[in-house]
Amino acid sequence: MALLELRGVSIDLPVFGFDAASLKKTVARTVTGGRIKFDTGVTVVRALDGISLTLRDGDRLGVIGHNGAGKTTLLRTLAGVYPPSQGTYLRKGTLVSFIDPMLGIEMDATGYENIRLRGLVMGLNHATISRLSPDIAEFSGLGDYLAMPVRTYSAGMLMRLAFSIVTSVRADILLLDEWLSAGDADFRQRADQRMREIVANTGILVLATHSPDMVQRECNRVMQLSHGRTASDEPVLERLMSFW
Amino acid sequence: MASAFSFTPASHSSTPSHALADWFRGTSRIGTWLPLAWYDICLRYRRSMLGPLWLTISMGAMLLGMGPLYAALFGLPMHSFFPHLALGMVFWLFIAGTINESCGVFTQSAGYLKHADSPLSLFVWRLEARQAVQLAHHALLYLPIAWWAGIRPSAAMVMFIPGFLLLVFFLHAIAMALGIMCARFRDIAQIVSSLVGFLMFLTPVVWQPETLPPRMRFVLDNPFAILLSLVRDPLLGKTCSSDAWISGVAWTVAAVIVSFLVFAWKRRQVVYWV
Repeated sequence: MALLELRGVSIDLPVFGFDAASLKKTVARTVTGGRIKFDTGVTVVRALDGISLTLRDGDRLGVIGHNGAGKTTLLRTLAGVYPPSQGTYLRKGTLVSFIDPMLGIEMDATGYENIRLRGLVMGLNHATISRLSPDIAEFSGLGDYLAMPVRTYSAGMLMRLAFSIVTSVRADILLLDEWLSAGDADFRQRADQRMREIVANTGILVLATHSPDMVQRECNRVMQLSHGRTASDEPVLERLMSFW
Repeated sequence: MASAFSFTPASHSSTPSHALADWFRGTSRIGTWLPLAWYDICLRYRRSMLGPLWLTISMGAMLLGMGPLYAALFGLPMHSFFPHLALGMVFWLFIAGTINESCGVFTQSAGYLKHADSPLSLFVWRLEARQAVQLAHHALLYLPIAWWAGIRPSAAMVMFIPGFLLLVFFLHAIAMALGIMCARFRDIAQIVSSLVGFLMFLTPVVWQPETLPPRMRFVLDNPFAILLSLVRDPLLGKTCSSDAWISGVAWTVAAVIVSFLVFAWKRRQVVYWV
């Protein structure tokens, strides 16, 4: 019984070291996503403004918007990273974030060691990692390379390893910053299938994306963000028609 | 990162009881921070010939250089000076290392902090565990030195354990407070580094407290001197006075209280500052 709820949430990001009011700031305001206010020498960017959202089991939310609109900030807020400056945040159920699969990967460590390291970063304990390791190793298809330091890997191999590790855990709520995929055509097919399985088995999915196809295919709700505010949170088709 | 709250996470609340719960959440994840600390050390010494054993060797080289020289300078017998010096250096590196690195403990983990809802105490324990692993590598040297100086295991040595626990919590409190402050004001790190360097001379790391003239005895009232004596003296086979214990406990409790206030007040902002 997963639940993810934001009520009137605003996120104010402080920016330190900003100079006094200048022409540069006026220009900056039009090209960046947040609306900028000035307050006692610390610039505060309102990255999200009064967002309300309720997600329950079965909800597949697509988040769309221009660069800097606040998609990543919204994902982080949903992950519980940012305590809201205003409003309330409520979550029930386990959550896993696929936003940065490469976090915690150490170049000098072997593939096997990175499975353990990445697992630790994800909060798994020793026994769970040991149990999941063989499946992860097998899915990645990297074979003997797993015994070598990952700095010898190509970028594609590294992503395959990261993908295999990150997708080995299941949770009620899943956060994605762009659809996760990696590797050559053959691996991508398996990866897509695994993603499909994960999404099918998850309670709530939140996917930030620039791709209309993705939203069409995977989501049953879509939220459009613009300068930290949401225009709407409607069934997919109508929103897509007007957005693109 | 998979996590299992059933309501608004403790990390979002500013009440002290939630702050305490959040601190325990990080502390209880020893299955995460302890292996990570160990890997930090191993990976740093990967591709080197002797691995983490270099820690022991470099400490050994320093002691072999300093020992005879300072003993001659101070006019002290090596049998009593060398173990004192060895333990002083070993524990001071632990103390100084923890405090200096604590300035970057959150800023350097910005990626982790912004990826998932992680308790701050987890990062502080990781740092301290890493320093403790290094301490263990350094402390190996004490065994041959103690044996050479004629120090044998005795009942008094058991008191090292509570002394060390006090030191661990004292440093944890300082590290947490400094980490939070340095996340906001980036120049505190330099100030801390200078202060730690200064403290090394003020604290009887190398020199022996008995050699201090009576009018200068107040110098020994600093918490580092007190806690250092609580961990060093038992291992030298001496017992510490009850005054020293009371002092040590008082300083630790004071540090923990002040640090907890800073933590409870500002912990929600750290993720915004890094």
